[in-house]
Amino acid sequence: MKKMKSVFMIIFTLVMVFSLAACNSTSEKTAGNKSASGGGDSKSGDAGTVNIGYSGPLSGPAAFYGERTLNGVKMAVEEINGAGGIEVSGKKYKFNIVSLDDKYLPNETGANAKRLLQENKTPIIFTPHSGGVFAMQVFNQQDKFIIGAYTSEPKVSDVGNKLTVRIPPRYDGYLKPFTDYEMDKFGKKIAFLPTASQYGKDWSEKLKPYWEKQGGKVVYESAIDFAKETDFFTVVTNALKEKPDVLFVGGPSEPTAKVIKQARELGFKGGFIVMDQAKMDEMKKVTGSYEMLNGAIGVMPLAESKISPVIPDFVKKYQDKYKEVPGSEAGLNYIGMYIFAEAMKAAGSVDDAEKIQAAMQKGVENVPENAKVYIFNKFDGGGFDGDLEVAAVENGKIVPIKVK
Amino acid sequence: MDILIQQLFNGLTIGSVYALVALGLTLVYGILHIPNFAHGALYMMGGYITLTMMTKFGLHYWIAIFVSIIVVGFIGVLMERLVFHPLRESPPIQDKIAAIGILLFLEAFAQYTWGAEYQSMPSPYGQVVEVFGLTLTMQRILIVVAAVIVMILLNLFLRKTYTGSTIIAMSQNREGANLVGINTTRVAMLTFMISGGLAAIAASISAPINLVFPGMGQLVILKAFVIIILGGMGSIPGAIVGGYIIGFSESLGATYISNDYKDIIAFFILVIILTVKPTGLFSKGGH
Repeated sequence: MKKMKSVFMIIFTLVMVFSLAACNSTSEKTAGNKSASGGGDSKSGDAGTVNIGYSGPLSGPAAFYGERTLNGVKMAVEEINGAGGIEVSGKKYKFNIVSLDDKYLPNETGANAKRLLQENKTPIIFTPHSGGVFAMQVFNQQDKFIIGAYTSEPKVSDVGNKLTVRIPPRYDGYLKPFTDYEMDKFGKKIAFLPTASQYGKDWSEKLKPYWEKQGGKVVYESAIDFAKETDFFTVVTNALKEKPDVLFVGGPSEPTAKVIKQARELGFKGGFIVMDQAKMDEMKKVTGSYEMLNGAIGVMPLAESKISPVIPDFVKKYQDKYKEVPGSEAGLNYIGMYIFAEAMKAAGSVDDAEKIQAAMQKGVENVPENAKVYIFNKFDGGGFDGDLEVAAVENGKIVPIKVK
Repeated sequence: MDILIQQLFNGLTIGSVYALVALGLTLVYGILHIPNFAHGALYMMGGYITLTMMTKFGLHYWIAIFVSIIVVGFIGVLMERLVFHPLRESPPIQDKIAAIGILLFLEAFAQYTWGAEYQSMPSPYGQVVEVFGLTLTMQRILIVVAAVIVMILLNLFLRKTYTGSTIIAMSQNREGANLVGINTTRVAMLTFMISGGLAAIAASISAPINLVFPGMGQLVILKAFVIIILGGMGSIPGAIVGGYIIGFSESLGATYISNDYKDIIAFFILVIILTVKPTGLFSKGGH
């Protein structure tokens, strides 16, 4: 009987451990104590401070992702401040980033946003996950702040929130080029092995009907939970049993690359559709070479992109500072911050979210040439609009694919 | 048929890793009756130390594993000395909370030292081998073989050597062992050392098929607890058999029932076993 009790005790404690481990909060880099003057309260003469909020995963399994997005914003802010800040209706302002850890949990994002508003009066809050965006959309129109949404989830724009700015292109734009390319090259049978997150599920739900409409067939459908699986051989074996021509994979780059590698080890010769979360250049670090990724189509890695002449310069600056090659996480948040700064200038206000939002188109137009790591031409449908950049791997090389 | 054999092998691979982790956990439980929640963190440290030895110091895979066993074993001893030993007289809940504390500390430490990103461990055994239509990689064969060798060695050590028998003696009866002149403090340290070493081996042989990151311990530790509950807390054969039961149920369950429900299948087996034998398959009875 005592044994039974101890078994229950252990199960109970285990549950506690994992709920605790999930909130393994370590680095809360609050800068709240530092000049919380907020925007707007202008005293003539010296420069004011505009606090920019950030809430994202800075600890736990997604911490690397959170850090990369934050680094992009940071770099833009440092450059703008280094150049003397921005001038809005005759007064100089500098930016100050206040970053909080939300452990990738939407409810934490909501709580963080409230805190950022009360303590730091942030007119803009960045967050790099759709769950966090949805959580803030509940109250951002009442509390009047702009969400800098780093997510390609179309739903964040479709809900019609007036103060949400989606920074990356919507992922549904990728369905056609990805499907066309893979069907053309490999065949019509596809197996789904995306990440088991909400985002992976939404992607699958969009891709499946599109693929079927083009005359394709989904022969296997499952998902991989990268926070729980030690080995992907089992699920990949089962997917390959159905003899697919194409595998749909995705999630963070590194585990996705492992899935691809194991599929190749199991003798898979077909192509891959790679969700936009995973980046070809980061996957290469795991697979060792692009050869293994032959036949994969996904988003163009920033460092390989030829779309803008300032990219090599940006890559170099970023590498010097953070010792890694930047991906779109850093690049898009970087240009996003620049656009917000320009929008504030154009709006003539640093604290009126509605005015800033209304000036977003001007912001897109006025981005300085040296910050244009992506080419956006308009602000439309709640997000920045530019040409989609798609790349495939052919014969061990990244090849840009034209999007029609 | 091919699929069945392939999946049996996949189950064997993953079961071997689970069994090694569970062994370390069950050893400590058998001796000290502490459910060591920090065991997953030891596993994670093992992965990182092997990786660092290979990438920073350019050591060969096997030498790196050896260093990792020593270092993680030493971390285990430190844990016993600094945390569990001072708490030996206090109520058991304090041990549990302390173990959670160590878990959080080590995970934060790893993130601080090595960064939060996923890292890939290169292995000299990446080759793919085909046997009778079965796809294996050298690394996977290595996992299975290494796990079996480690289990045999551990068993020989516990049954045939004097030092090993002191561990068994202490797990049977702590006071009795003390009375016949066994230095229980030393045995406790030794047990933590072996437990850490086992975690390091498990992490080092399985990391090349997955990745190294601060949360990697959580992949295996929950399953390891299921295994030792299923096999009987503190039982060594229980941990081994339990490890393979979970490994096979995952791979076969994913194939013949549903991939999305494979964890439920594992827990369903746990429920059945606990219903029939509430103390686990190999429990020693009466503490």
